[in-house]
Amino acid sequence: MGTFHDNRGDLHGITVAVFTAETVYVGRCHEMDDQRLLLLDVDQHAEGQDGRTHQEYLERAAKFGVWKKHDQLMVPMPDITAVKPLGEFYRGVGKPAPAPAPPPASQPTVSAPVIVGDDPVTMTEAAREEVKRLLAEEKNLGQGLRLGVAGGGCSGLVYNVEFDSHKEGDVVIPQDGFEVYLDRKSIIYLRGIVLDFQSGLGGRGFQFNNPNASNTCGCGESFAV
Amino acid sequence: MPYPEQMVAPMRAELVEMGVQELRTTSEVEDFFTVKEGTFLLLVNSVCGCAAGSARPAVALALGNDQRPDRVATVFAGQDLEATALARDLIGDVPPSSPSFALMKDGELVHFVPRHLIEGQDADAVAANLTEAFAAYCNSHAKG
Repeated sequence: MGTFHDNRGDLHGITVAVFTAETVYVGRCHEMDDQRLLLLDVDQHAEGQDGRTHQEYLERAAKFGVWKKHDQLMVPMPDITAVKPLGEFYRGVGKPAPAPAPPPASQPTVSAPVIVGDDPVTMTEAAREEVKRLLAEEKNLGQGLRLGVAGGGCSGLVYNVEFDSHKEGDVVIPQDGFEVYLDRKSIIYLRGIVLDFQSGLGGRGFQFNNPNASNTCGCGESFAV
Repeated sequence: MPYPEQMVAPMRAELVEMGVQELRTTSEVEDFFTVKEGTFLLLVNSVCGCAAGSARPAVALALGNDQRPDRVATVFAGQDLEATALARDLIGDVPPSSPSFALMKDGELVHFVPRHLIEGQDADAVAANLTEAFAAYCNSHAKG
Protein backbone atom coordinates (compact mmCIF):
# COMPACT_ATOMS: atom_id res chain seq x y z
CA MET A 1 0.00 0.00 0.00
CA GLY A 2 2.92 2.33 0.56
CA THR A 3 3.93 4.97 -1.88
CA PHE A 4 7.45 6.33 -2.24
CA HIS A 5 10.33 5.83 0.21
CA ASP A 6 9.65 2.22 1.11
CA ASN A 7 12.23 2.37 3.89
CA ARG A 8 9.81 4.50 5.91
CA GLY A 9 7.21 1.77 6.25
CA ASP A 10 4.14 0.54 4.46
CA LEU A 11 2.01 3.47 5.55
CA HIS A 12 4.40 6.19 4.43
CA GLY A 13 2.45 8.74 2.39
CA ILE A 14 -0.91 7.24 3.35
CA THR A 15 -3.50 9.28 5.24
CA VAL A 16 -4.36 7.39 8.39
CA ALA A 17 -6.55 7.56 11.47
CA VAL A 18 -4.48 7.06 14.61
CA PHE A 19 -6.47 6.05 17.67
CA THR A 20 -5.42 6.78 21.22
CA ALA A 21 -7.51 6.41 24.36
CA GLU A 22 -8.88 9.95 24.15
CA THR A 23 -8.23 11.27 20.68
CA VAL A 24 -8.26 10.30 17.04
CA TYR A 25 -5.61 11.95 14.87
CA VAL A 26 -5.94 12.10 11.09
CA GLY A 27 -2.89 12.90 9.02
CA ARG A 28 -0.49 11.64 6.41
CA CYS A 29 1.86 9.08 7.86
CA HIS A 30 5.43 10.18 7.34
CA GLU A 31 7.61 7.98 9.51
CA MET A 32 7.20 5.49 12.27
CA ASP A 33 9.38 3.36 14.48
CA ASP A 34 9.14 1.64 17.85
CA GLN A 35 8.93 4.95 19.67
CA ARG A 36 6.63 7.19 17.69
CA LEU A 37 4.54 7.80 14.61
CA LEU A 38 5.05 11.09 12.81
CA LEU A 39 2.04 12.57 11.00
CA LEU A 40 1.89 15.49 8.58
CA ASP A 41 -1.03 17.89 7.96
CA VAL A 42 -2.88 16.68 11.02
CA ASP A 43 -6.35 17.20 12.45
CA GLN A 44 -7.54 15.75 15.73
CA HIS A 45 -10.88 14.89 17.26
CA ALA A 46 -12.01 14.15 20.77
CA GLU A 47 -15.03 11.92 21.28
CA GLY A 48 -18.14 14.12 21.17
CA GLN A 49 -16.28 17.17 19.89
CA ASP A 50 -18.54 19.37 17.73
CA GLY A 51 -21.37 16.99 18.55
CA ARG A 52 -19.79 14.14 16.61
CA THR A 53 -18.69 10.69 17.64
CA HIS A 54 -15.32 9.46 16.39
CA GLN A 55 -17.17 7.36 13.85
CA GLU A 56 -19.14 10.30 12.49
CA TYR A 57 -16.03 12.46 12.39
CA LEU A 58 -14.06 9.81 10.53
CA GLU A 59 -16.79 9.16 7.99
CA ARG A 60 -16.94 12.86 7.17
CA ALA A 61 -13.15 13.07 7.08
CA ALA A 62 -13.04 10.12 4.71
CA LYS A 63 -15.49 11.83 2.38
CA PHE A 64 -14.01 15.32 2.29
CA GLY A 65 -10.59 15.28 3.99
CA VAL A 66 -9.64 17.34 7.03
CA TRP A 67 -8.67 20.91 7.79
CA LYS A 68 -5.23 20.61 9.30
CA LYS A 69 -4.57 21.89 12.82
CA HIS A 70 -0.89 20.93 12.87
CA ASP A 71 1.76 20.79 10.16
CA GLN A 72 3.42 17.91 12.02
CA LEU A 73 2.46 15.88 15.03
CA MET A 74 4.23 13.03 16.79
CA VAL A 75 2.20 10.36 18.56
CA PRO A 76 4.09 8.12 21.02
CA MET A 77 3.73 4.47 20.05
CA PRO A 78 2.69 3.31 23.54
CA ASP A 79 -0.32 5.65 23.34
CA ILE A 80 -1.56 4.19 20.07
CA THR A 81 -4.32 1.61 20.16
CA ALA A 82 -4.91 1.32 16.41
CA VAL A 83 -3.88 2.75 13.07
CA LYS A 84 -6.19 2.48 10.06
CA PRO A 85 -6.09 4.04 6.60
CA LEU A 86 -8.67 6.83 6.53
CA GLY A 87 -10.06 5.38 3.31
CA GLU A 88 -11.47 2.47 5.31
CA PHE A 89 -14.09 4.84 6.71
CA TYR A 90 -15.30 5.89 3.28
CA ARG A 91 -18.92 4.90 2.68
CA GLY A 92 -19.10 5.51 -1.06
CA VAL A 93 -21.23 7.68 -3.30
CA GLY A 94 -24.54 8.74 -1.89
CA LYS A 95 -24.69 5.95 0.68
CA PRO A 96 -26.04 7.02 4.05
CA ALA A 97 -23.38 6.83 6.70
CA PRO A 98 -24.27 4.22 9.27
CA ALA A 99 -24.08 5.74 12.69
CA PRO A 100 -23.20 3.10 15.20
CA ALA A 101 -21.43 4.91 18.00
CA PRO A 102 -17.98 3.51 18.68
CA PRO A 103 -17.23 2.17 22.14
CA PRO A 104 -16.43 4.76 24.81
CA ALA A 105 -12.95 6.23 24.63
CA SER A 106 -12.02 4.40 27.80
CA GLN A 107 -12.45 1.14 25.92
CA PRO A 108 -10.52 1.83 22.71
CA THR A 109 -11.64 -1.14 20.67
CA VAL A 110 -13.01 0.71 17.65
CA SER A 111 -11.04 -1.43 15.25
CA ALA A 112 -8.90 -4.47 14.97
CA PRO A 113 -5.52 -2.98 15.72
CA VAL A 114 -2.91 -3.23 13.04
CA ILE A 115 0.66 -3.44 14.15
CA VAL A 116 2.78 -0.61 12.86
CA GLY A 117 6.52 -0.43 13.06
CA ASP A 118 8.38 -3.57 14.00
CA ASP A 119 6.17 -6.53 14.78
CA PRO A 120 6.49 -7.58 18.43
CA VAL A 121 6.70 -11.22 17.36
CA THR A 122 8.37 -12.73 14.35
CA MET A 123 8.21 -16.25 13.02
CA THR A 124 10.80 -18.31 11.28
CA GLU A 125 9.95 -19.79 7.91
CA ALA A 126 9.78 -23.25 9.51
CA ALA A 127 7.23 -22.05 12.06
CA ARG A 128 5.14 -20.37 9.38
CA GLU A 129 5.11 -23.45 7.21
CA GLU A 130 4.11 -25.67 10.09
CA VAL A 131 1.22 -23.39 11.05
CA LYS A 132 0.02 -23.33 7.46
CA ARG A 133 0.29 -27.09 7.23
CA LEU A 134 -1.76 -27.59 10.39
CA LEU A 135 -4.40 -25.07 9.39
CA ALA A 136 -4.76 -26.74 5.99
CA GLU A 137 -5.03 -30.17 7.61
CA GLU A 138 -7.74 -29.22 10.08
CA LYS A 139 -10.23 -26.65 8.79
CA ASN A 140 -11.92 -25.98 12.13
CA LEU A 141 -8.87 -24.72 13.94
CA GLY A 142 -9.53 -21.04 13.20
CA GLN A 143 -7.86 -18.45 11.07
CA GLY A 144 -4.65 -18.06 12.95
CA LEU A 145 -2.33 -18.66 15.82
CA ARG A 146 -2.83 -17.13 19.24
CA LEU A 147 0.26 -16.45 21.30
CA GLY A 148 0.19 -15.37 24.91
CA VAL A 149 1.68 -15.87 28.32
CA ALA A 150 0.22 -16.99 31.63
CA GLY A 151 1.50 -17.52 35.12
CA GLY A 152 2.98 -20.92 35.81
CA GLY A 153 5.81 -23.23 35.03
CA CYS A 154 9.07 -23.64 36.85
CA SER A 155 10.32 -20.20 35.82
CA GLY A 156 7.19 -18.18 36.56
CA LEU A 157 5.53 -17.65 33.18
CA VAL A 158 4.46 -20.07 30.49
CA TYR A 159 3.74 -19.56 26.83
CA ASN A 160 0.34 -20.24 25.39
CA VAL A 161 0.12 -21.34 21.78
CA GLU A 162 -3.21 -22.27 20.28
CA PHE A 163 -5.11 -22.06 17.06
CA ASP A 164 -7.90 -19.55 17.30
CA SER A 165 -9.95 -16.89 15.53
CA HIS A 166 -9.74 -13.13 15.87
CA LYS A 167 -11.19 -11.62 19.04
CA GLU A 168 -12.00 -8.00 19.76
CA GLY A 169 -9.02 -6.12 21.12
CA ASP A 170 -6.45 -8.47 19.63
CA VAL A 171 -3.30 -7.13 18.11
CA VAL A 172 -3.10 -8.78 14.71
CA ILE A 173 0.10 -9.61 12.87
CA PRO A 174 -0.70 -10.70 9.33
CA GLN A 175 1.34 -13.58 7.96
CA ASP A 176 1.34 -15.20 4.57
CA GLY A 177 -1.88 -17.24 4.70
CA PHE A 178 -2.88 -16.75 8.34
CA GLU A 179 -2.76 -14.28 11.21
CA VAL A 180 -1.06 -14.17 14.58
CA TYR A 181 -3.18 -12.85 17.46
CA LEU A 182 -1.75 -11.36 20.62
CA ASP A 183 -3.67 -10.17 23.62
CA ARG A 184 -2.46 -6.81 24.83
CA LYS A 185 -1.42 -7.98 28.29
CA SER A 186 1.05 -10.44 26.80
CA ILE A 187 2.78 -8.07 24.44
CA ILE A 188 5.31 -6.72 26.91
CA TYR A 189 6.48 -10.27 27.55
CA LEU A 190 6.46 -11.31 23.92
CA ARG A 191 8.06 -8.27 22.30
CA GLY A 192 11.10 -9.33 20.32
CA ILE A 193 10.29 -12.99 20.51
CA VAL A 194 11.06 -15.33 17.63
CA LEU A 195 8.80 -18.34 17.22
CA ASP A 196 10.59 -21.26 15.63
CA PHE A 197 9.60 -24.80 14.76
CA GLN A 198 11.97 -27.69 15.24
CA SER A 199 11.45 -31.04 13.60
CA GLY A 200 14.81 -32.69 14.19
CA LEU A 201 15.97 -35.48 16.49
CA GLY A 202 16.28 -33.08 19.43
CA GLY A 203 12.55 -32.60 19.56
CA ARG A 204 9.61 -31.62 17.46
CA GLY A 205 7.52 -28.59 18.23
CA PHE A 206 7.27 -24.83 18.44
CA GLN A 207 10.06 -23.10 20.26
CA PHE A 208 10.20 -19.58 21.64
CA ASN A 209 13.41 -17.61 21.55
CA ASN A 210 12.77 -14.78 23.97
CA PRO A 211 15.26 -11.90 24.31
CA ASN A 212 13.30 -10.61 27.34
CA ALA A 213 13.75 -13.77 29.36
CA SER A 214 16.27 -13.49 32.19
CA ASN A 215 15.91 -17.15 32.94
CA THR A 216 14.49 -20.00 30.95
CA CYS A 217 13.72 -23.45 32.19
CA GLY A 218 15.42 -26.42 30.60
CA CYS A 219 12.46 -27.51 28.55
CA GLY A 220 11.93 -24.01 27.20
CA GLU A 221 8.27 -23.99 28.08
CA SER A 222 8.47 -21.39 30.83
CA PHE A 223 10.54 -18.30 31.46
CA ALA A 224 11.14 -15.37 33.78
CA VAL A 225 11.68 -11.71 32.97
CA MET B 1 7.46 27.05 -4.85
CA PRO B 2 6.35 25.85 -8.28
CA TYR B 3 8.32 23.16 -10.06
CA PRO B 4 10.14 24.02 -13.30
CA GLU B 5 7.60 24.12 -16.10
CA GLN B 6 9.55 21.53 -18.10
CA MET B 7 8.85 19.00 -15.33
CA VAL B 8 5.13 19.54 -15.17
CA ALA B 9 4.45 20.02 -18.87
CA PRO B 10 3.91 16.28 -19.49
CA MET B 11 1.50 16.17 -16.55
CA ARG B 12 -0.51 18.99 -18.08
CA ALA B 13 -0.38 17.44 -21.54
CA GLU B 14 -1.62 14.08 -20.27
CA LEU B 15 -4.95 15.67 -19.37
CA VAL B 16 -5.23 18.15 -22.23
CA GLU B 17 -4.72 15.35 -24.73
CA MET B 18 -7.74 13.53 -23.35
CA GLY B 19 -9.89 16.60 -23.82
CA VAL B 20 -9.70 18.12 -20.35
CA GLN B 21 -9.83 21.92 -20.28
CA GLU B 22 -6.91 23.41 -18.42
CA LEU B 23 -7.64 26.50 -16.31
CA ARG B 24 -4.42 28.40 -15.67
CA THR B 25 -5.66 31.85 -14.74
CA THR B 26 -8.31 33.21 -12.41
CA SER B 27 -10.24 34.61 -15.35
CA GLU B 28 -10.30 31.18 -16.97
CA VAL B 29 -11.58 29.71 -13.70
CA GLU B 30 -14.24 32.41 -13.36
CA ASP B 31 -15.43 31.85 -16.90
CA PHE B 32 -15.62 28.11 -16.41
CA PHE B 33 -17.56 28.33 -13.14
CA THR B 34 -19.94 30.95 -14.54
CA VAL B 35 -21.92 28.23 -16.29
CA LYS B 36 -23.94 26.66 -13.49
CA GLU B 37 -26.25 24.37 -15.41
CA GLY B 38 -25.28 20.77 -15.93
CA THR B 39 -22.37 18.83 -14.53
CA PHE B 40 -18.63 19.22 -14.57
CA LEU B 41 -15.66 17.44 -13.08
CA LEU B 42 -12.72 19.43 -11.80
CA LEU B 43 -9.40 17.68 -11.20
CA VAL B 44 -6.97 19.47 -8.92
CA ASN B 45 -3.81 18.12 -10.49
CA SER B 46 -0.47 17.84 -8.67
CA VAL B 47 3.05 16.62 -9.23
CA CYS B 48 2.66 13.96 -6.53
CA GLY B 49 3.57 10.79 -8.36
CA CYS B 50 2.04 8.39 -5.89
CA ALA B 51 -1.44 9.91 -6.10
CA ALA B 52 -1.68 12.08 -9.20
CA GLY B 53 0.00 9.31 -11.16
CA SER B 54 -3.23 7.33 -10.66
CA ALA B 55 -5.60 10.29 -10.80
CA ARG B 56 -4.77 11.40 -14.35
CA PRO B 57 -5.26 8.04 -16.10
CA ALA B 58 -8.37 7.49 -13.97
CA VAL B 59 -9.96 10.45 -15.72
CA ALA B 60 -9.53 8.78 -19.08
CA LEU B 61 -10.96 5.52 -17.79
CA ALA B 62 -13.97 7.13 -16.14
CA LEU B 63 -14.76 9.34 -19.12
CA GLY B 64 -15.13 6.20 -21.23
CA ASN B 65 -18.58 5.72 -19.69
CA ASP B 66 -21.73 6.95 -21.39
CA GLN B 67 -22.78 8.60 -18.17
CA ARG B 68 -20.21 11.31 -17.60
CA PRO B 69 -20.03 15.02 -16.80
CA ASP B 70 -20.92 17.60 -19.42
CA ARG B 71 -17.54 19.30 -18.97
CA VAL B 72 -14.15 18.42 -17.48
CA ALA B 73 -11.49 20.85 -16.34
CA THR B 74 -8.30 20.93 -14.31
CA VAL B 75 -6.22 23.31 -12.27
CA PHE B 76 -2.64 22.57 -11.23
CA ALA B 77 -1.97 22.85 -7.49
CA GLY B 78 1.45 24.20 -6.59
CA GLN B 79 1.88 25.55 -10.11
CA ASP B 80 -1.00 27.81 -11.04
CA LEU B 81 -1.48 29.11 -7.53
CA GLU B 82 -4.10 31.81 -7.98
CA ALA B 83 -6.24 29.77 -10.34
CA THR B 84 -6.15 26.83 -7.95
CA ALA B 85 -7.02 28.97 -4.92
CA LEU B 86 -10.01 30.47 -6.70
CA ALA B 87 -11.21 27.10 -7.95
CA ARG B 88 -11.04 25.73 -4.41
CA ASP B 89 -13.08 28.67 -3.15
CA LEU B 90 -15.70 28.09 -5.79
CA ILE B 91 -15.96 24.34 -5.20
CA GLY B 92 -17.29 24.84 -1.70
CA ASP B 93 -16.35 24.33 1.90
CA VAL B 94 -14.01 21.36 1.62
CA PRO B 95 -10.41 21.17 2.84
CA PRO B 96 -7.74 21.75 0.20
CA SER B 97 -6.46 18.48 -1.17
CA SER B 98 -4.32 17.63 -4.16
CA PRO B 99 -4.77 15.70 -6.21
CA SER B 100 -8.52 15.65 -5.79
CA PHE B 101 -11.71 15.55 -7.83
CA ALA B 102 -14.83 17.67 -7.44
CA LEU B 103 -18.01 16.77 -9.28
CA MET B 104 -20.36 19.74 -9.53
CA LYS B 105 -23.99 19.68 -10.58
CA ASP B 106 -25.99 22.84 -11.21
CA GLY B 107 -23.43 24.84 -9.26
CA GLU B 108 -23.34 22.55 -6.22
CA LEU B 109 -20.67 20.12 -5.10
CA VAL B 110 -22.22 16.65 -5.24
CA HIS B 111 -19.15 14.42 -4.95
CA PHE B 112 -15.59 14.90 -3.80
CA VAL B 113 -12.61 12.58 -4.03
CA PRO B 114 -9.86 13.80 -1.70
CA ARG B 115 -6.25 12.76 -1.99
CA HIS B 116 -6.48 10.00 0.60
CA LEU B 117 -8.93 8.10 -1.61
CA ILE B 118 -6.40 8.26 -4.46
CA GLU B 119 -3.04 7.65 -2.76
CA GLY B 120 -1.99 4.03 -2.86
CA GLN B 121 -4.79 3.17 -5.34
CA ASP B 122 -4.37 2.22 -8.96
CA ALA B 123 -6.12 4.11 -11.75
CA ASP B 124 -8.86 1.48 -12.04
CA ALA B 125 -9.85 1.89 -8.39
CA VAL B 126 -9.93 5.68 -8.68
CA ALA B 127 -11.92 5.43 -11.92
CA ALA B 128 -14.41 3.14 -10.21
CA ASN B 129 -15.10 5.82 -7.62
CA LEU B 130 -15.63 8.43 -10.34
CA THR B 131 -17.77 6.09 -12.41
CA GLU B 132 -20.07 5.46 -9.44
CA ALA B 133 -20.48 9.20 -9.00
CA PHE B 134 -21.08 9.76 -12.71
CA ALA B 135 -23.81 7.11 -12.63
CA ALA B 136 -25.46 8.87 -9.71
CA TYR B 137 -25.31 12.45 -10.95
CA CYS B 138 -24.53 12.71 -14.67
CA ASN B 139 -26.57 12.33 -17.84
CA SER B 140 -25.86 9.85 -20.57
CA HIS B 141 -23.79 11.09 -23.47
CA ALA B 142 -24.34 7.94 -25.53
CA LYS B 143 -24.53 8.58 -29.24
CA GLY B 144 -27.81 7.90 -30.98
